[in-house]
Amino acid sequence: MATTTHDHVSGPALQHHYDTPGQQKEAATLGMWAFLVTEIMLFGGIFMAYMVYRWAYPEIWAAAAPHLNTPLATLNTVVLLVSSLTVALAVHAAEVGNKRQLVTLLLVTILLGATFLGIKFTEYGEKFAHCAGYASPLAWATGGERLGEAECLVPGKGFLFPVAAASAEGGAPAAAAADAAQPGMKSPHQLFFFLYFCATGLHAVHMVVGITVMSVIAGMAIRNKFSPAYFTPVEIGGLYWHLIDIIWVFLFPLFYLV
Amino acid sequence: MSTTALPSNYSTNSATTASAWLKSWLLTVDHKRIAILYLISINVFFLLGGMAASMVRLELVTPQGDLMSADMYNRMFTLHGVIMVFFFLIPGIPSVLGNFLIPLMIGARDLAFPKLNLLSWYLYMGGGIFALCAAVFGGVDTGWTFYTPFSTSYSNSNVVLTIAGAFIMGFSSILTGLNFIVTIHKMRAPGLTWFRLPLFIWAHYATSLIQILATPVVAIALLLVAVERIWHVGVFDPAIGGDPVLYQHLFWFYSHPAVYIMILPAMGVISELIATFSRRRIFGYEFVAFSSIAIAILGFLVWGHHMYVSSQSVYSGLVFGFITMLVAIPSAIKVFNWTATLYKGSISYRTPMLYALGFIGLFVIGGLTGIFLSVVAVDIHVTDTYFVVAHFHYVMVGGTMMAYLGGIHYWWPKMTGRMYNEAWGAISALVVFVGFNLTFFPQFVMGYLGMPRRYHVYPQEFQIYHVMSTAGSSILGIGFIIPLVYLLLSLRYGKLAGDNPWDAPGLEWQTSSPPPTFNFATQPIVTEEAYAFHPEAAIRDAEAWQPGSPL
Amino acid sequence: MANARDIGHEGGHDREGSYGHIPVRTYWVVFSSLMVLMVLTVAAWYVEKHFVQLPEIVAVGIAMAIAIAKTALIIYFFMHVKVSSKLTQIFAVSAFVWLMILFVIVMGDYMARGWPPARGPLTQAPAPRAAAAPVSQGWRAL
Repeated sequence: MATTTHDHVSGPALQHHYDTPGQQKEAATLGMWAFLVTEIMLFGGIFMAYMVYRWAYPEIWAAAAPHLNTPLATLNTVVLLVSSLTVALAVHAAEVGNKRQLVTLLLVTILLGATFLGIKFTEYGEKFAHCAGYASPLAWATGGERLGEAECLVPGKGFLFPVAAASAEGGAPAAAAADAAQPGMKSPHQLFFFLYFCATGLHAVHMVVGITVMSVIAGMAIRNKFSPAYFTPVEIGGLYWHLIDIIWVFLFPLFYLV
Repeated sequence: MSTTALPSNYSTNSATTASAWLKSWLLTVDHKRIAILYLISINVFFLLGGMAASMVRLELVTPQGDLMSADMYNRMFTLHGVIMVFFFLIPGIPSVLGNFLIPLMIGARDLAFPKLNLLSWYLYMGGGIFALCAAVFGGVDTGWTFYTPFSTSYSNSNVVLTIAGAFIMGFSSILTGLNFIVTIHKMRAPGLTWFRLPLFIWAHYATSLIQILATPVVAIALLLVAVERIWHVGVFDPAIGGDPVLYQHLFWFYSHPAVYIMILPAMGVISELIATFSRRRIFGYEFVAFSSIAIAILGFLVWGHHMYVSSQSVYSGLVFGFITMLVAIPSAIKVFNWTATLYKGSISYRTPMLYALGFIGLFVIGGLTGIFLSVVAVDIHVTDTYFVVAHFHYVMVGGTMMAYLGGIHYWWPKMTGRMYNEAWGAISALVVFVGFNLTFFPQFVMGYLGMPRRYHVYPQEFQIYHVMSTAGSSILGIGFIIPLVYLLLSLRYGKLAGDNPWDAPGLEWQTSSPPPTFNFATQPIVTEEAYAFHPEAAIRDAEAWQPGSPL
Repeated sequence: MANARDIGHEGGHDREGSYGHIPVRTYWVVFSSLMVLMVLTVAAWYVEKHFVQLPEIVAVGIAMAIAIAKTALIIYFFMHVKVSSKLTQIFAVSAFVWLMILFVIVMGDYMARGWPPARGPLTQAPAPRAAAAPVSQGWRAL
């Protein structure tokens, strides 16, 4: 067996290559922060693309953004901010050893995350329903009310930006948008919606990962794996969740509050 | 020549069945075993990339496109590039030597996250399988750079498959870097301050910083290309107002620092080799340590020098060109310090040292030609010619590859407990050196004279250079095959190495060869500086040298 | 061998354990601030959309300032960076510094480049708009 004279006390879940639980916790935290750095740089690439195209085509952004569902997104922002609070409180609960509170808060967080995804699903559903010609996802599913005027904001072959409606509201934005485009360009509004779907889609994927991580941690909490001496997974899981929130904090004003 | 068995070590176990033995290797979390897994897989990919290179060079012997069609040729050089860059050079030294040695050098029992380390290897293999599948299904013809809009809109090849391979490998790279950073910060032995660390560790630390900061950006760039290819709409499409050059910005934001991922670990290896084989502490230790960090940071500010002719603005070109010249300074500092270390050292011409000396010469040539290329005016003339190809092969092959081979030879006794045959080692080092120069020096000349890269048909006037280059490449190939043979043979017939065959300082040499699973019998405590040679060691060793001395 | 761990630990775990503590009350205060900031950012948008016409750069600037404030609060308090080691703080900051490197240099290139042609390089006035109908048809003519 390992020829070690290590007389360390094996605390709960102290791994063999660490000397003390403190060292292990610090390593885990630093490791998670290094990972968050990579996530920030990942989204940084998409934000870079956003920045370039918004700078290039401000009128297109102005024309396209109102077609996003700002009220729903505001609701989502509230949901995520609350979930950040519950996560912070959950870490605190783990710190003081309050298992019931910890589990409750983790479950609430998961619920809020699921709510976020549900609202996002509705938003996406709205877009796809409009593409299919229906007024809402429900109408699409039930074969109900059709959309008054043709519109398809999902980038791709069927993309159709409702210019007529825009010019009815006030000719300036759409005409200016047309001017901003170069002759020969096909529906530059697709840029906005492509970035919207990519950025929020990537964010949603991370949210799914976050919910999975939280579920695993909640499961561990229920099985009494944590104590004031060892609650590292809660802490680093929380860090990941907060990052998801931070990304949304930037996505919200950039896409919905143009 | 003793062939007695090695004592119990990390590579032996008590598995009694084949499946148990397989599991002990494929489910290991021991950094040393993972390093060996990487060693095998990386070398396999290197051979595949080398075969693709051979095909390219074969085609180029004649000015006509007779061996393969233009399309086939495109796929061949792309395969060569993708495999070599993503599956050999970037993981290369960190995953093999870094994984094996970092915990040993800092007196730790393992890396910070052993399971993550294993995951890194599986991600590497997963990515590799995607890339190989793409190759089997006909390959990809975009060049390893996947420039848009060709890769997104017009290419008829397996772009998404290859991108998936590179994407997955990127995560392997990120996790390895993350592991190294935390390990180096948190798991050093008592007494091992930052400035007592071997320069190998400093180099890998800087490399890991680059890995975690740069790789995600190429991940998103490739993801966007894949999305655009699958759904036929995307942000790089000029038809809807997109800018293909944005892809280049995002791609090169990673790919330039990536070349420093390739060279920094190599420089770390060279520091170790030079110190041991001149029996002297590295001159200017702090300067070399800080220069690694400086290269890592400055390397993020120079990516535009790949885009001088891509319609990048002139002002950007000037800024990037200037900073590129700045980034050469830390590299030069290293070369000067290595040379100063050699001065009045007791120099031993063992195989690792031959590779190290070769590195210094070839890296200087490669680096200087990089400075030529950083000047916008020169670059406009030689961009996309063989001059650039020669430049990066000098630093990648003449640099990283030589350091990789030197490091493998140097630490082979530590990893396997056996010594390789020194005569064959020296022969193959010389063969590699000669073959390499014959392959790539003519490429500088023909590139300057106008031979474009990625062309398989060319004017008759360049044929002589291509013939020289191909001849050299066959010699180079032989030089790579010979070590395979004698290194493998040494596993069975090699002399038992003992703990410290090179009489080198450093924690890794304080434990047995091969090391036991937990690296050290007792936790080492460090009280000396790095490279703690006696000040007079070089003189004494030179005076006391006899045939049969360790060095 | 017990002494091994008493000797000046350069092993990196010299200040292990907790670095400090953030009281629960602070979490609630931070949360309220975040909600207030969110209301502010939506309000700013609403005002800018319907009442006051601001240059776009100002509107984006306000929105980003608020987003940065929210992020700072989350990072500093919720993510415990306030009570973390210097190393963690450096990692947290450096991510954003690196992001800035990417943004600044790339945007600098776009601004200086003359892309898209309508925006033009900084040293030139934008290309004059042709008043004729064919241009304003643009892509809709397709």
